[in-house]
Amino acid sequence: MLILAIMAAGALAGFFLFPDKRLKWSERIQLICTCLLIFSMGVILGGRENFMDELLSLGFRSLVFAIIPIAFSIAAVYFLTEKFLRGGDKRK
Amino acid sequence: MMASAAVICLVLGVICGQADGSGAVSGFFGANAHIILYILMFFVGISVGANRTVFSKIRQYHVKIFIIPAGIVAGSVAAGALCAPLLGLEWGQSMAVTSSLGWYSLSGVMITELGGAEMGAVAFMSSLMREILSFLLIPFIARYLNAYTTIAPAAATSEDTTLPAILKYGGAETAVMAVFNGVFCSALVPVLIRFFMGLGF
Repeated sequence: MLILAIMAAGALAGFFLFPDKRLKWSERIQLICTCLLIFSMGVILGGRENFMDELLSLGFRSLVFAIIPIAFSIAAVYFLTEKFLRGGDKRK
Repeated sequence: MMASAAVICLVLGVICGQADGSGAVSGFFGANAHIILYILMFFVGISVGANRTVFSKIRQYHVKIFIIPAGIVAGSVAAGALCAPLLGLEWGQSMAVTSSLGWYSLSGVMITELGGAEMGAVAFMSSLMREILSFLLIPFIARYLNAYTTIAPAAATSEDTTLPAILKYGGAETAVMAVFNGVFCSALVPVLIRFFMGLGF
């Protein structure tokens, strides 16, 4: 809940201080923070005592458990959003 | 750019974690990663809040705002039902793992408690892989499918770690839907895991 409160504070700041602007600097800070977060995820994962053993023995099973739900979720959401929401705001 | 940066950062992190014999570095990041997340969320909030037209658009969706989380949960649970015979596991355990929806910190701990260390490790790693793969897939989904579908791989993580990627490739309106989706999915994850682990078949 704290995360949502922090984001709401940011949204209020954005709403009142920078109305209707595309904020390049904010996007840049987000990219740096995301990279740091993924790096720290890697450090935590690599720091697990039996990381290599876990990766080798359970890696394939984990990959199947990642890929199939992603594929099914994409298929379901694509079908539903094309049918009911017309896909959203295509930017690219 | 985002996807390759994500992979490089992850690999560098794993190498750093492996090389850190004393555990001091991983301990530091384990204790402080949430601060980086808080900073990230504040700036994501600024980007979302700066786009005033978004909120009026979201209001017009009403019940349709549940379409994306419904698709993600249905797709993930159906995938669990398919994975069970493929991997020789019980249906309940398999559907519990896929109901993690990418929330690795919670699902790893919960499934370890309810189903043992091995299933817990699988839940942790598959959720982490789901998050990493999301970073790789989001740019392609935005390009070849549609903006809303960028939320699908991210699932419960669409309100925090993967949100900047969704904002970048899907747009501000999709990012607001992603926050709603992340909150809704996160609330469902513990309920779904407990339910499926309790099935006993």
